[in-house]
Amino acid sequence: MELFLDIFGFLAVLLAGFGRAAQCFYLGAVLFLLVLVRPLAGQLGADGQAIAALARRTGILALATLLAILLISLSSHVVILAGTTDGSYLHAMGGSYAVAQLARFGAGGLALAMLLSGAATRTTAGFRLLILCAAVDLLAGMATSHAAARLENQAVLYLATGLHHLGAAIWIGGLPAFLCSLNLLPRGSALAAVAQRYSAMSMAGVGGILVSGVLMLVFYVGSSEAMYGTAYGMMLGTKIALFLSLLLLGLGNALAVRQLAGDVFAALPRLKRFVEVEIGIGISILLVAASITSLPPAIDLVDGRATAAEILERLEPRWPALVSPDKDNLAFYEELRQQSSDDGIGAKHLQAYVPGAGIPLPRNAEDIAWSEYNHHISGIFVLLIGLLALVEKTGRAPWARHWPLLFVGMAGFLFLRSEAEGWPFGALSLSESLRDPEYVQHKMFMVLMCAFALFEWSVRAGMLTRRWASYVFPLLSAVGGTMLLTHSHSIANVKELLLLEMSHLPIAVLGIWAAWARWLELRLDGTIQRVGGWAWPVLVALVGTILLLYREI
Amino acid sequence: MRQKSLRNIILFLILSVAAGVPQASAHAIIVQSVPARDAVVAGPVIEVSLSYNVRIDATRSRLSLSDPTGAESRIAIATDSAPEKLTATLTDLAAGSYILHWQVLASDGHITRGDIPFTVAP
Repeated sequence: MELFLDIFGFLAVLLAGFGRAAQCFYLGAVLFLLVLVRPLAGQLGADGQAIAALARRTGILALATLLAILLISLSSHVVILAGTTDGSYLHAMGGSYAVAQLARFGAGGLALAMLLSGAATRTTAGFRLLILCAAVDLLAGMATSHAAARLENQAVLYLATGLHHLGAAIWIGGLPAFLCSLNLLPRGSALAAVAQRYSAMSMAGVGGILVSGVLMLVFYVGSSEAMYGTAYGMMLGTKIALFLSLLLLGLGNALAVRQLAGDVFAALPRLKRFVEVEIGIGISILLVAASITSLPPAIDLVDGRATAAEILERLEPRWPALVSPDKDNLAFYEELRQQSSDDGIGAKHLQAYVPGAGIPLPRNAEDIAWSEYNHHISGIFVLLIGLLALVEKTGRAPWARHWPLLFVGMAGFLFLRSEAEGWPFGALSLSESLRDPEYVQHKMFMVLMCAFALFEWSVRAGMLTRRWASYVFPLLSAVGGTMLLTHSHSIANVKELLLLEMSHLPIAVLGIWAAWARWLELRLDGTIQRVGGWAWPVLVALVGTILLLYREI
Repeated sequence: MRQKSLRNIILFLILSVAAGVPQASAHAIIVQSVPARDAVVAGPVIEVSLSYNVRIDATRSRLSLSDPTGAESRIAIATDSAPEKLTATLTDLAAGSYILHWQVLASDGHITRGDIPFTVAP
């Protein structure tokens, strides 16, 4: 059960992330109906009913997902709590967290029934009940946030959390219904009215996010030292960087909405594509937010913070050695030899990772050099990929289009080199290797890398000509970048791991930006297509440069 | 090909979820403990007091003690402590090395646990 508790720790992060996204889109759909569709009903006529039906559908999808996640997280919580405290399930259900989740489940179930039956949008009483159910979800959700456990300033933090969630629901949560509306409505005054109303709603949402964000920054972080010196602060910085890119897109959308009344043919496609990207980056932000929720607030972590000097020292560029140490000198093999000489048994006693131990493996200078070498060679691969994509972009070197194959080469290199103690080239068997979550995660990243590389290569070599095939590369890159942000060791707050992870966060953000720049190149024409087309290889090359300069000491 | 790519995504997500284990991640963290970590204390009676950075649900938390032989026994938690504290009384402790195991439920639903090794002086 203790092992399950440890696994549940990370499972809970992902569940919370997808739960936050589902809640955001559910509340967003309800708010879209409340603030946009109903007030504009007279002006929109039959189109208004069609938009309402679309918002209802997005709400149903999001709410059904939310209920499934609530069921999994609540039942896992109760089983683990009862199992580890030798208490009854009923007693475990009595905790404030479980009660709040149960209230959300009950209200969500009622809302789903009303949405499915149509009662929520057909009658005023039904719609009011839907609003009430959504309010219960928002309030009960606040009762499971950091604010619920704070010792001081609880009222302000509850308010800030509620405002933050509400702002995100208005802006990001309403985007799917808005996108469906843009696709549905004919070009004309109704379209312009919907776009203008949603633009105003988004600005209000952004305002709520900013005000509450500043409040939470003050009470959960409190100082610049806590901001850069803790895992919470670094993840928050990552979230802010993604948020700023979202704001930039939002600004582009606000300008496009103004143009809708005039040059609708130019403005509408841009608006739609930007909304698609906003949804994608919005989901990444919600997953980062969930990752932050799993961490103790930065203000509470007084000991073990990384100092500015330590961070600057680590960031100082140094030319990579590009020399690998001998595998036999790694700490794992040294310890193995030590145990073998002690008791003659050796490997059977030593594991790559001790489940539940909660401590990083001992590492020596050779381990650090081994890891740095892996990052540096990967950096060369990624830098070459970015540069070759740029060369291909010039149109003067058709051979450069085979750059995706370098990803396959890189995956092969990592398969040989990462987790030197693990299967197939290390001392551990496959089953022993699989006990290490990072082993599995890294190997899965390699599979992902090969998958999107082969897809992209097939597209560029002309073997796959269907349009959807070209979307696989940017979409899987965005998934990969987001997964890197919720990668298990990024949530630790051990100083050395924190300094080690420091470079992974910008890599993830640059990866997400590169993915969506490529998306815009594929989905738009004109200036933005050109900018996106040149931007993503540059961003990839930047990722390569960061990897090339990666240091662990 | 579409199905293959979808399968890759789903497999990746499932395995990522199943494989992930946090290292030293803690939501509720100890800000003060009596006995302190690796402390040498006088027995045979020890008042335990663990203070956390957040509100905790003491009735759904757990304390146990591993004695010098490695045997683990459950400890009764006092119910009248401050909202951020776990308190208990350890009795009849002979000299030797002990490990206090704690697991708490924070009011925001996070379950965390940890160990505090200490020694009872002869």
